Amino acid sequence: MLSIEGVDAGYGATTILNGVTLDVQAGEVVTIVGANGAGKTTTLRTIAGLIKPTSGRVTFEGQDITSLPAHEIVDLGITLIPEGRQLFPDMTVRENLMMGAYRRGARAQQHETMDHVMELFPRIRERLDQHASSLSGGEQQMVAIARGMMARPKLLMFDEPSLGLAPIVVAQVFEAIGKIVAAGATVLIVEQNVFTTLKAADRGYVLENGSIVLTDTAEALLSDDHVRQAYLGI
Amino acid sequence: MPVTFSPTLPAIRRLTPAAMGLVALLAGLFITPVLIGDEFVYHVFITICLFAGLSTAWNIVGGYAGQLSLGHAIFYGIGGYAGVILMNMGISPWFGMFVGAAIAAVVAIVISYPCFRLHGPFFALATIAFLEVFRVLALHFRDLTGGAMGMMIQLKLGWEWMVFRERLPALIIAFGMMLVCLIVAQVIRSHRLGFYLVATRERESAARAAGVQTVKVRLTAVAVSAALAAMLGTFHAMYLTFIEPAAMFSLPFSIQIAMFALIGGIGTVYGPLLGAVLLVPLTEFARGMLGAEALGLHGFVYGVVLVMAVLFFPNGLMGALQRFPAPKASQDPKVVQAAPVAAAPRAAERPPIGQEVMRVENLQKHFGGLHVTNDVSFSLREGEILGLIGPNGAGKTTVFNMISGFLQADSGSVSVLDREGRFQAPTSPSDFAALGVGRTFQIVQPFAAMTVEENIMVGAFYRHHDVHDAREAARETAHRMGLGPWLDAEARGLTIGGLKRLEVARVMAMEPRILLLDEVMAGINQTDVRRAIDLMLSIRDTGVSIIAIEHVMQAVMSLSDRVIVLNSGEIIAEGKPQDVVRDPHVIEAYLGKDFVHAQH
Amino acid sequence: METFLQVVANGLMLGGLFAIISIGLTLIFGIIKVVNFAHGEFLMAGMFLTYLITTKLGLHPYASVVVVAPALFVLGALTQRLLIQPLLSARDDHVQIFATVGLSTAMINLALLLYGADIANTPTSGLRTPVDIGPVRVLEGQIYIFLCAALLVVGLELFLHRTQTGRAIRAVAQNRAAAQLMGINANWIYVLSFGIGAACVGLASSLIAPLYPTSSTIGTYFVLTAFVVVVLGGLGSIPGAFVGAMLIGLIDALAGFYIGSDLREAVVFGVFLIILILRPSGLFGTRVKLSHIS
Repeated sequence: MLSIEGVDAGYGATTILNGVTLDVQAGEVVTIVGANGAGKTTTLRTIAGLIKPTSGRVTFEGQDITSLPAHEIVDLGITLIPEGRQLFPDMTVRENLMMGAYRRGARAQQHETMDHVMELFPRIRERLDQHASSLSGGEQQMVAIARGMMARPKLLMFDEPSLGLAPIVVAQVFEAIGKIVAAGATVLIVEQNVFTTLKAADRGYVLENGSIVLTDTAEALLSDDHVRQAYLGI
Repeated sequence: MPVTFSPTLPAIRRLTPAAMGLVALLAGLFITPVLIGDEFVYHVFITICLFAGLSTAWNIVGGYAGQLSLGHAIFYGIGGYAGVILMNMGISPWFGMFVGAAIAAVVAIVISYPCFRLHGPFFALATIAFLEVFRVLALHFRDLTGGAMGMMIQLKLGWEWMVFRERLPALIIAFGMMLVCLIVAQVIRSHRLGFYLVATRERESAARAAGVQTVKVRLTAVAVSAALAAMLGTFHAMYLTFIEPAAMFSLPFSIQIAMFALIGGIGTVYGPLLGAVLLVPLTEFARGMLGAEALGLHGFVYGVVLVMAVLFFPNGLMGALQRFPAPKASQDPKVVQAAPVAAAPRAAERPPIGQEVMRVENLQKHFGGLHVTNDVSFSLREGEILGLIGPNGAGKTTVFNMISGFLQADSGSVSVLDREGRFQAPTSPSDFAALGVGRTFQIVQPFAAMTVEENIMVGAFYRHHDVHDAREAARETAHRMGLGPWLDAEARGLTIGGLKRLEVARVMAMEPRILLLDEVMAGINQTDVRRAIDLMLSIRDTGVSIIAIEHVMQAVMSLSDRVIVLNSGEIIAEGKPQDVVRDPHVIEAYLGKDFVHAQH
Repeated sequence: METFLQVVANGLMLGGLFAIISIGLTLIFGIIKVVNFAHGEFLMAGMFLTYLITTKLGLHPYASVVVVAPALFVLGALTQRLLIQPLLSARDDHVQIFATVGLSTAMINLALLLYGADIANTPTSGLRTPVDIGPVRVLEGQIYIFLCAALLVVGLELFLHRTQTGRAIRAVAQNRAAAQLMGINANWIYVLSFGIGAACVGLASSLIAPLYPTSSTIGTYFVLTAFVVVVLGGLGSIPGAFVGAMLIGLIDALAGFYIGSDLREAVVFGVFLIILILRPSGLFGTRVKLSHIS
């Protein structure tokens, strides 16, 4: 469904990704494991079109999306739920969700999607008319995920969904992601909580220093010596 | 320690063509009008010198310090009025010039101090507003200034009155004053003040962490710049023989001053000169030839040139010129990450952990309704490495900000042992730096426009006031940190691994007694993690105490003498690393339940 | 007492004038985060255009708005697309500041070249007729300006909150990257917003031209006050700009009457500097920054 071949990317003169190659098949849950600063977020942002690669190719459903602007990539069905929630702080939760459905393929079914999302996140319903900035961190993360789902994406990408959340809230977030996965979504996820993520994933990539150094099934990675030593501190 | 660097001779040789060009340009500025001898040509060249001088003075604030003033005519006007008013009281403008400079410097400090809180367009807006206030005041106090009618100088000719019938003496004075401005600008740029100004412009927080008193250096720059502008104002008033508020406190005039610097190359020493040399004749000749028909033509040309310049040469002509000779640091920056950290010589035995050097008591901090730090207390001993771990958002960086003076706690105290063995309670980043506390930032804060060497020098200046000594110290630190081959590369070209090392190098150059490291291992590869661990151990062995925020568990486990675990702003565990990772609270909050499963 | 009421009425009318000039400026800043130093020259261009249409075609100045507002929309959209957008990624603020400062300088002097230093008086079309409202007397045109300013504030607020495009504009303003992730074309929104902001100035210029003489420097005269108003009201806040304009109008009128007309500018800018330095977020800005959290 999605494939990245030999992508170099970075910010300004700083190169962060160095020949990254990975792919995601329809219906799969794939995770990228790596230290802070290894380039995980940069990878997701490059797929989403927020960063343009200096070389390499990104294709989605057979179409080359390397040089497409971010908003057109969204229109094709790739949605990134960014690190740190990134809600629209002075808009209500409802407005935030409406913006989620801005995508051409989602605008018409906005109301049905919202009902569906409310079922998944019942707590949001009570908060619909509050400003997003007045929510707690956990609630904001729920809204961010819900907003991402409003786009009815074909590929959903999560960037550090548990970042800065209390453990109990992290559990709720993972429960929600679990439901989305169980419903058959295609997911690419980056998460500091390596164990939990690998447990939920089908496959994983290990990103070090801007390059993929290892890829395998999630199960194999969990028992890999390098992964255990570098990312689990064992 | 023997230093084996080649002397600075190659640097001088490299500069020679540029230096020769500069000398030729300056000589041309003076000789051309003398040779031609035409009144109008004299006028054009005097105007060039005036604007080159003003623009060079502006550049000390607008370029080096990055504070975009669009009100520099205030200082020029003050100089002009001081000169004329005193002259009409029978006092020579040679004296009035310094009176004007002194007043301008004081005014500059008074109006800039509150404005330094403002950035970018807001600083520019504030300077425009101040300019308007001065113009209105000059119109209002007509007893002093002659109001809208303006003021004529009493025609007293001769050198002592700075007023001449012929043009050559005026050219000599304008040229001389321009040289003074250029020399001052060059001296500032090549000394500590210049480094501090640029560092403050590039990253204020990192400059403060390096012990730079950012407000003080900026005020110094503003005062010098204003004084120079005022002196040129006095000269120009004498040259024009008539002044009025609309001309002396004029916004278009202020914009022109800034514009020459931008077009020539903002922040470079000779860019403003270049800008004035190229643009003043263009418009003066157009005005001279087309006369009244072309009302507004020169302004239109200026505006268009300015727009074109920002679109196509945002770094000015100097920036464009510098691109031609291949930059010396053309090495592939990607290699930086692969460069080994110099093998650090380790002492055979580590010195014993000494007395307490930092005491943190009951820190509390709220942001809005969020309790980010709740009753955090700990202490650090001499030569100890204290690991600070916890999930993202637990408040680790907030604690760092409070124990380095960047953030004031709502309550609680931080005390640091000074060199005399007494505990002090520092408050500002410069207080902490003075006590030997150095810190890095989680999000690297390089001075992007400076070279690696210059970046480290900003730290080294803290111990070595002389440029030469600071450079030596910086080079030594760079080699120790494995940054030796990239001394002349601009910091913005480094990879994340290189930047992380640069961050540590800058702090190490301050020779701190307490080192606060915020995730310096994040994003570097396994081999480098091991080397970085060795490096940190060797730093520790010299008696430096370290607090390290770190996610790389391998580093935390092998480095730390003690570990503190922070979660939701509270310390939930403290102790030896092996014990802490078995603590059930830590497992739940940070490592995850699966961590335990994985260990079996 | 009657004098005082008259001064207050003058202040409010002046406030309406300041409001209609400032709304476009605050809209552009609030969304694109660019301070348009050429804003005053947009006004100047609009007033010249109104003058030309009114004198050459003999139309009522208010009728010229159908040409002036779209023309200014295009001018604004082009400014964003050709000048601001290429500079959005510039490392330093100074590049963007100089870009609009340069545009302003070029426009002022272009007007000088085209029209000379003379003043162009747009026909008043009866808009300078005094109208008595209770004890006070104001000009008919001033009332229209005040009403239009109020309507514009309401209209823009409705547009920004009730329409899909308006919400998209707010989304881009609040978080550009997140908005792109929703599928919003942020660059296009910027062009649109700059155009709308400039069109507001176009409306303002058609309303103002019959009351004020048009000259190449008229923009400088108004724009500095507009900056004051916008900072006072909280940059980017449209209702804030309206309230700020009323305050500055009152301060201007009262200072002009009680302190001296030659010092009123000094008072206005003095207030501006105090606000800018003590409360840079404006009188009504209350956003708490949480950016310190790691």
